[in-house]
Amino acid sequence: MATEAEQAFCVVSNNSLYLRRAIQVHRGDRADQGSRRVDGGCIVCEKEMTVKKSIQASVFALAGLAAVSSFQVSADEELTIGVVSALEGPGSEWGRGVDGGTKIAAKEINDAGGLTVNGTTYQINVRSYNDGYAASAAVSAVTRLIEQDEVNFILGPLGSGSALAVKPMYEENGILALVNSYSPKTLENVRYTYRVLPTTAEYSGPIVGWIHENHPDIKSVAIISPNDQTGWDSQKFQEATYEKFGYDIVGTELFERSTKNFQPFVTRIMAQKPDLIELDTTPPGTAGLIIRQAREMGYQGRFSKIGGPGVPEIVDAAGKDFAEGTIVYVAADTNNPKYQELEEAYAEIYSPPMNAFNVFFYDAAHMLFQAIERAGTVEDTEKVRQELEAMAPYEGMQGTLNWGGEDTYGNNHQLQTPTFVGMIKDGKEVIVNRIGVQ
Amino acid sequence: MAEGSGIRWTNDPGPLGFACRHGFPVPIMLPKVLVIDMDMLQLSIQVGVNGLMFGIVYILMALGFTMIFGIMRVVNFAHGEFYMLGAIAVLLLFGKLGYDYYLSLTIAVLFVGLFGVVVERLLLRSLVGRELNSMIMTLAISITMLSMVAIIFGPQEQSVDRPVSGIFQIAGVIIPQDRVMVGAIAMAVLVVFYLFLHYARFGLAMRAVAQDSGAAELQGIRPGFIYSLAFGVGSMLAGLAGALMAPIYTISPFMGDVPMMMAFIVVILGGLGSIPGAVVGGLLLGLVESVFSTFFGSTAATMIAFGMVVLILLVKPSGLMGRAQ
Repeated sequence: MATEAEQAFCVVSNNSLYLRRAIQVHRGDRADQGSRRVDGGCIVCEKEMTVKKSIQASVFALAGLAAVSSFQVSADEELTIGVVSALEGPGSEWGRGVDGGTKIAAKEINDAGGLTVNGTTYQINVRSYNDGYAASAAVSAVTRLIEQDEVNFILGPLGSGSALAVKPMYEENGILALVNSYSPKTLENVRYTYRVLPTTAEYSGPIVGWIHENHPDIKSVAIISPNDQTGWDSQKFQEATYEKFGYDIVGTELFERSTKNFQPFVTRIMAQKPDLIELDTTPPGTAGLIIRQAREMGYQGRFSKIGGPGVPEIVDAAGKDFAEGTIVYVAADTNNPKYQELEEAYAEIYSPPMNAFNVFFYDAAHMLFQAIERAGTVEDTEKVRQELEAMAPYEGMQGTLNWGGEDTYGNNHQLQTPTFVGMIKDGKEVIVNRIGVQ
Repeated sequence: MAEGSGIRWTNDPGPLGFACRHGFPVPIMLPKVLVIDMDMLQLSIQVGVNGLMFGIVYILMALGFTMIFGIMRVVNFAHGEFYMLGAIAVLLLFGKLGYDYYLSLTIAVLFVGLFGVVVERLLLRSLVGRELNSMIMTLAISITMLSMVAIIFGPQEQSVDRPVSGIFQIAGVIIPQDRVMVGAIAMAVLVVFYLFLHYARFGLAMRAVAQDSGAAELQGIRPGFIYSLAFGVGSMLAGLAGALMAPIYTISPFMGDVPMMMAFIVVILGGLGSIPGAVVGGLLLGLVESVFSTFFGSTAATMIAFGMVVLILLVKPSGLMGRAQ
């Protein structure tokens, strides 16, 4: 009767090509070596038992080595932070801002020895996934981060469609998330989701007010936005803001993000003779295309882009002459020495130019790491969340940051940051006004 | 637009039954209707000119795609990436190395054609006639090319200077000069292509292989050589379209997706494997897109374009000028 070990070996050997071949090798010698047939048809001999024991010994040795190795690794723990953003395609200049800013902040902490949390030092590992500005890809990325990478902290997504899709996942799993999607719905009824940069809701009023005061010749406006959640929400805000200041909204257009040919759009819009074309949350490269094609079709009015920043991409696509005089929202003062240091660090990760979103996520990542440190835990996101809120006012790269937004969102999960009004002059972004924290 | 065109928006549903966007409870934006009071002729000409300019590029894309299918029975899902490769070559030669644009255009087209020949010889020759297998192979080639370009050049959108700038204005109709350049070069290439197919030895051989490769072989035509030639020429046409459009739009590894989709629509409209069909389909799609984008918005234009595909597949599956199988 076969022992249990021999029966187990039979099961393994019957399913294992290697062991089956080993048995076949021995089978030729078996007649001289007193082999016996085991129930179930498996041939076992002394030499085969030796092979089995050798394999078992090797497995134990490897397991021991792994245990020793893991013991050595545990002295330098790893804290994985997730990033989900549009790293390719339209909008990727912003997406790489999310990723770049986070990675630069993480590298600074790691180079200084790591993040010390309750006596344990962690090296921060940033795990980034591209969602291509699409909700379905964002859901896949966040699922992977939560279930496979087992992260507790995620920065992103970028797009509003993506953010609204993953918001329930963040809240259900207690993932502390620092997002930058522009939709006001992102912050409705949330506990663990925070937005770390200002949106149209925060800065369109002050900037339109500046236009109203400094360009009284502008009376009518047409607004162009992408045809998705980001564009629908931001366009509504823009319309309401311009109407509040007494402008005549002569047209609103939505375009698919993949559109390159805007001649039909421009034909439609120019038929309405707007004094100003507001480009809203159109990605910078696409905004440049619209400006160029409109100018070529004879548009003489002014452009504004009270949406995500990206003057270099606008000028590249539109040409310096056509982009001249465009009023823009400026996220960062590029003359700030710290900004220039950030640009050098960014160039090690991605090709220039660096987008100003890096500034927001550099600050946000540092806030998160400090909050983790103060909370004394990398697991309890509720404690970290409370520390994150308690940290305000926080001295960021460009000035004071504070949590706010109660009146708009019903909670104080919106980071209020300094904002600038700019204009494109001679192909460069020039700051014409600064708006402080609200 | 010229002064006094008298075009206005209306919130009334009008006879076509479109509702205004405002207050509509769902996020799907229905178009507002553009009501024309006067100068309809001028606007129509502008829309028509816009449509012709789109259509020319669609024809270039579709011709290469349909020719490859007609001769090799290979559905080339990597066709959009050959378009992208042409643009990337212009980015490198004209944008970064500073060569003359027309020299860069020529080198880009030849490079993409040669690359197409290599791809055909190494990866597709054994799959000629096997449509499903070739679809999967070309899909893999597409993803590989896109990823390699993204790794080497980065995923961000880039721009190059325009070789010509300015506009022509004729009776109030505005035509950008760079579009005229694109149209002129594309037309010249189409004429050369037509002459090649109808009068050149190798062009006639290609048409013979498309009709019946066995019979062509009996006439002394080597199908293998013709397959390489067809794939090379088809890739060159896609590369030319990309190289021409590189200064007009932005350049990125992902720029081939939409032209690929448009090429697909055009060949389905015109008939898969039909070269006259590709020309008719390209012009039709360009005009339809221009009209509906101008008067109803791009979402409506996309819907109508795919609606035409559905209609053709139901009524005449072989396409407007294709032969029934």
